[in-house]
This record gives sequence, structure tokens and C-alpha cells, in this order.
Amino acid sequence: MKQSLFSATLDNGITLVGEELPDLESVAVAFHLPAGGVHDGASRCGLATLTGEMCLRGAGDRDSRRIVEDLESAGVQWSQAVSTSHMSFSGAMVSTQLPVALPIYADILRRPLLPEHELEQARQMLLQNLAGTEDDPPHRVMSALRQLHFPAPWGLPAEGLSADVERLTSADVRGFATRHLQPGGMIVSIAGRIDWPDFVRRIERHFGDWQPQAVPTVTTGPRGPRIRHVPHESQQTHIALAWSAPPYRDDESYDATAAVSILGGGSSSRLFTEVRERRGLCYSISAGYQTHRDFAIALCYAGTTAARSQETLDVMLAEIQRLPGSLSAAELDRVKARAKSGLVMQQESSAARAGSIARQWYHLGGMRTLAEELARYDRLSVASIEAWLAGHPPRDVSVVCLGPEPLEVPHAISA
Amino acid sequence: MPFLHERLENGLDIVAETSAGSLSTSVGFFVRTGARDETDDVWGVSHFLEHMVFKGTPDLSADEINQAFDRLGASANAFTSEEDTVYYATVLPEQQDDVVELLARMMRPALRAQDFDTEKLVILEEIRMYDDQPPFGADDRCRAAFFGRHPLARSVLGTVASIQALPVEAMRHYHRRRYAPGTMVLAASGAVDFPALVSVARRLCGDWPAEPEGRGASAQAAVSPTAAAVERIVRPAAALEYVVRMSAGPGENHADRFAAKLLAVILGDGTGSRLYWALVDPGLAEQASCHHHDFLDAGLFATQLSCDAADAEELLARIVDLYATAVQEGITPEEFARARNKLASRVVLSGERPRRRLFDVGLEWSHCATYRTVRDNLRIVESLTLDDVHRVLAAWPLAGPAATVLAGPGGQAASDAAGGEA
Repeated sequence: MKQSLFSATLDNGITLVGEELPDLESVAVAFHLPAGGVHDGASRCGLATLTGEMCLRGAGDRDSRRIVEDLESAGVQWSQAVSTSHMSFSGAMVSTQLPVALPIYADILRRPLLPEHELEQARQMLLQNLAGTEDDPPHRVMSALRQLHFPAPWGLPAEGLSADVERLTSADVRGFATRHLQPGGMIVSIAGRIDWPDFVRRIERHFGDWQPQAVPTVTTGPRGPRIRHVPHESQQTHIALAWSAPPYRDDESYDATAAVSILGGGSSSRLFTEVRERRGLCYSISAGYQTHRDFAIALCYAGTTAARSQETLDVMLAEIQRLPGSLSAAELDRVKARAKSGLVMQQESSAARAGSIARQWYHLGGMRTLAEELARYDRLSVASIEAWLAGHPPRDVSVVCLGPEPLEVPHAISA
Repeated sequence: MPFLHERLENGLDIVAETSAGSLSTSVGFFVRTGARDETDDVWGVSHFLEHMVFKGTPDLSADEINQAFDRLGASANAFTSEEDTVYYATVLPEQQDDVVELLARMMRPALRAQDFDTEKLVILEEIRMYDDQPPFGADDRCRAAFFGRHPLARSVLGTVASIQALPVEAMRHYHRRRYAPGTMVLAASGAVDFPALVSVARRLCGDWPAEPEGRGASAQAAVSPTAAAVERIVRPAAALEYVVRMSAGPGENHADRFAAKLLAVILGDGTGSRLYWALVDPGLAEQASCHHHDFLDAGLFATQLSCDAADAEELLARIVDLYATAVQEGITPEEFARARNKLASRVVLSGERPRRRLFDVGLEWSHCATYRTVRDNLRIVESLTLDDVHRVLAAWPLAGPAATVLAGPGGQAASDAAGGEA
């Protein structure tokens, strides 16, 4: 399949990446600033998220309502999100509306008013969202797992901690905006029906004279304990497990993700078969992979009735332990087929492609064509994955159980 | 985007919207059966049967089905609603024949007693999972209160008791009655080879006996409450209070259904709506939204609110006031135009995804035996006028009688204040 991928770098450090998808009428654009939760600072967990929210509450000569109304009048499906590593503003629209949307994003990023009289409202919005996550057990158990397994501040929740959010001030927000809302390290991605030279000219016009600063570095701290029980009054117990895996930019990450996929990636995966199909222990069970630039995790999740949760955990741990030395060619073929379909089908969505090429640029400093990605999957063999597993057997597993009672975790798997 | 239709001799409809540029093929069986077709003694059987369809046929085991989907690189799943049970898969075009064959064979499941007993445990887990998460059953309870004796009152999952009591023979009987070719549609979208689709369907589905079984006439009971009704579900450990409120709206059989959707965008869309600016933007509520849902013969506006328990009743009253103001003072031309642009953009963007189109095409044909292109949908949105929206506001009692259910810690405080009666 022929792909049209583009990239350009402006003098002030902004990287532009793009992919033309000529069959689409839409275009999706996203601005990713290296201003995620890792930059919150001590006892200010949630500051990046609060700053991102404040950017939408007035920018340039638009007030909060005008920003939303102008975007929505143009039919822009917009969103704003703060992750551990990035603050992102995105929009998907019919391609003819792009010239209307770009100046609005330029206002939001370059000229946020950060109005003091809206700080309380923005804070309350964050606190409401945090209260909502308290009622979402799968979200809570995964958040607790990341806090346990990743070294601080990489495991802290970007959405914030209520006690910290309560104390954030307008000065904190202004300080964060001054330090982190800047072009250095910013990635602008676009996919869909695009005119690349025209897009580059427009970004240059709106962002070219924005002066860069040094991108602040993050000091990585210690990791948490390995095992935690989070008391929760409920019928179900939620179990989350993680162990370390190579980050996406390592070639070995393909072996690691294939192993994780065999463990719990599809409906024929081992966890789905053994835990749900054979024993009927739960409705939700899966395994996955999450990566930062420098480290990554393999993780598993299951939610099950409290009385059957110990058996569920035992079966999950047994399947993880059984993985090295047991992979079959048929399992690997299924992993390859699923990965191949997933990659090809992504080409049908401008938003998915804009997200994907931005992630690649962040992790790899470049873009991989679909053909290169597919070739990497084709090169995988049972031997290569087994070799990786032999060198990195799953151990030092972090375990979080959220439910009425703690569960027993064998010492051997989580020393 | 050519549309193609063929009907097998036994009544099975096959429809496809084909787009040459598409990289994938989506196919699905749309079965015209769901919770509304159940009786008390088989409550939850439609959804349970949907799970059992993945447990194998007389000559395919559950493992073989799961492995086949993964081997085809299929993104496959199923869902059950009040009116439909849908099985679907998206694959690369070269896998079309194999995935259609797999789905077609699955439609004639073995329904083995041992699989039934194991899967019953999974269904019970699913019921407990939803019971543990927001809105803690308030949506099902509200729909039950809203629809009263109408068949749409029945929840899709059933209850722990109804599932525990369900015998496998009752499911086999339900399957024989409801999965007849005349109540099913095989739909496809994307890069579809239509002659091949028909040929595989004819080979595998052509001998399904045509058992004419229409939907019962039970669907005629009165819909919607005539007076306000409020119920509470007490969840002391919940962080927020979750409120669901339902009032009557146009159904699928009503010309104003599209104007109703536009009205819901104006009043209660996730961003930029009246509820958003009044309650979400100031941080008073975690969520405050209004959606229009339509069924074959009934419709409703569903308002959802989540906020601190102490604020729930006051904020709900404020929402109803806001609806009353809209009825009295109308909608401004500016907010009407904005919402219409927003809806039009959604139609275009979602129309780009063949896997999304499968559901539009399949459900539309299954319910109405009609087909609309993305362009048709866009024309419908663009032809809506402010008068249409005002007519909906006048005709349907958004601020009037409604069923309301609150779930969360608030009921505890309310019952404590009333003397500790729980």
C-alpha cells in the first residue's frame, strides 16, 4: 500500500508530521506539548490538567464560551487531554474547516488568558471528575497499579490527586503555563484530506514566531511497594498485575507485545480461555502493554466476584508463569493476523492516524510506514519471542487488588 | 456507494453498502429480537443466548470459534439491546468468505447444557459488574418506571434470580422461535464482494426453515408516566449521586425524531450545550447531559446527572427549570445553527468509517426495510429548521411528567432524615 507521510521542523523546534488519506473528507489535527503530568511538581499532582483546562477558559480575544462556540460552529469535534507525558489539544473536522480551526488553537496555546475568576470553576471540574473516578473500580485499580510499578512521578495520575488539586493556586497555573506552554518539543500531527505545503505554511504563520525555551527535565524517583490491597465495598474484586517490559522504541518490544498478546490479547488468548471460557470466573479479563519513552509494562486485569477472586488471581499468575517455553506457532500466527488487520484498519480513521504518527515521532524520532511495521511483525518467530522471554521471565510482578478483602500473592512471583 | 439487496427464498435479507476505496469489510447478522420479546420466565435470555452463540455449534467448539476469529484477524463482537441482537466482525477484504461462513454457522449454535452452566456464571459476573458501577442500576430502573407495562420496560441483562432460574431448554425454544430467517438480516459494508456474500449465505443459510414468527402485539401498552415518579437506590459507599430522568419523545416511527436529536444536542450535548454551560463548565456536576433515544414504537429524552449527593435534587430542579425556559422562550437562531453544524459534521465523520456504517445500514434495514446514504442523512440534518425544534419542544413534555431514579449515597441521608427507615 502506498503511503504519503510528511514531516517538517520549524526553527523554534516544532515538529510537524502528516499523512495524506485521500479517500477521506475529514482531517484530524492534534497539538502535543511535552507538558504532561510528570511536570506537575511535588505535591501539585493535577497541575498540568488544571492548566490545560484553564487554557480553554479564555484565549486571545475569545472568552471561554466563544472558544467552544467557534470550534463547534465549524463542526470541529474537539478534545483536550493531559497524559503523563503530554498536554494535547485535538480536533477532527471536515477538511475545509481547517483554516477556521487553526487560529483558534493558536490562541489557546499561545495566548491563554488563564482568568483568575474561573480558577475555582476549573478546580471544581477536576474535583468532580476525580470523584467520578472513585466510583469506577477498574480505573482505580489500574491507576493504583501504575503508581506502584512506575518510578515517581511516571506512575502518578495525570488527572490529579484531590488533596493536591484543592491547594493549587492561580500562581501555580501561571508558572506552569510560562514554563511549559512553549514550542520546544511540540509535535503537531495531521492526517486525512490534507494539502501538506499549505498546512506547513499555516502552522508557520500561526506558530513560527513563538520563542522556544529549554524543555524542563524530569527527575525520576523510587518505585513503590510491590503489592497493595485497596479496600472497597463491592460485590466484585478487581485485580491488576504488571511487570516490566521494553519500551516501544526497543526492537524487542515487538517480541514482548506478541508474548503479552498470546497471554491475553484476543478471545483465543490464554487468559480469556482459561479464566473466562473454561472456568466462568469473570466477565472482563485482558492483558495489554503500556509504554513511556524509557520504560513500559505488561499488564493484566480481571474483575470477579470477591469469593472467586483468589482462584482468579491464582489462575492468572499460573498462566503468566507458564508462558516461557510454551508458545506455539498457531498462537503466533493469530497474533500476527490481528496486528496486521489492526494496522491496516487504522488507515480508515484520520484521528487514529494523527495519533499514531505523533506517538511514533515522540517515541522513535521518526515515522514507520505501514510496510515497515508489517515487516517487523512478519520477522517475529516463536524462537525470537522465546529467546526474549528466557532473558526476561515475568517476575517482580506488581499486584493490586481492589475489593472487600486482600488476596494472597505467592512470594516467588513478587519478591 | 452502491447499495445492494437480495432476499433468499426462506426470507433472509442480505444488504450491503459497498465502497471501493475501503480497506476493510464489515459483516453482521442483525436479529430482530431482544429484551422486549421476552417474558418473565425467560428474562435475560436474549443476551445470555448472544453469549452462547460464541460457545459453539454441533461441529465447532468455543475454542475453535475464538481461534478462527483471531486467525482471520477479525475484530468481532456482539451486543444485545431491547430490540436487536447483533453479531459482527470487521476483516481485511480477502477474509470476507471465511468470516461470513463462521458467523453464519454460529447462528445455529449447539446450546450444550454444560457450556450453558459455565456461561451462566459469566452472565452473573456481568450483572454484578454493572451493579457495581455507575449509575448503579438507575438507568434500568428508570426505564422500567418510565415504560411501566410496555415491553420496553424489561432490562437486557435480566436479574440474578431470572438468570439462575433459566433452563437451557427455554433458551433452545427461544432460539428456534426468534432466529428464523424472516427475523434476520445479513448486512455488510466497506469493500464487499456482494455476489460472494450472497453465495456463502445461500449455501449456509438457505436451508434454515422459514418460521414466520412476528413480534407479538404486546407492544401496544401505554408509554410514559402521566405523573412524576421518583425512586431511590441507596449506595452508601458511592462518591457521587447518579440521576437518570426519562420523559417522552418521538419514536422511530415519528417524523420528528431527527429534530428531537438536534434539540437534545442544543440542550444537553457533552460540550457547548445549555446543560454544559449551566452545570458542567462551572464544576457543579461531573456530568449533565440529555440524549434522545428512539425505539420502534416509542421514544424518550434521557437526562443524566452526576454530582455531589447534597446537590442532586437542587441541580435536577435547575435542569427541569432550564427545560421549562426553553419551552417558554425558545431556542436562539445562533445556537440552532451551531448545533446543526455539529450534527452535520458528526454525520460526515462517522460516515467515513465502514465499520460504523454497518450498524446504520443493518439496523435501518432490520427495522424499516429502508436504506439511507450518508448524503441522505446529511440532507435530513441540513433541512431541519428552528420551527421543527420548537414543534418538538411544544409537543413533548421535557419539563413535564417524567420517571426519575437517583442512585448513590444521597438516599441514605434522605431516609435518615425521614427517621431512619431504609
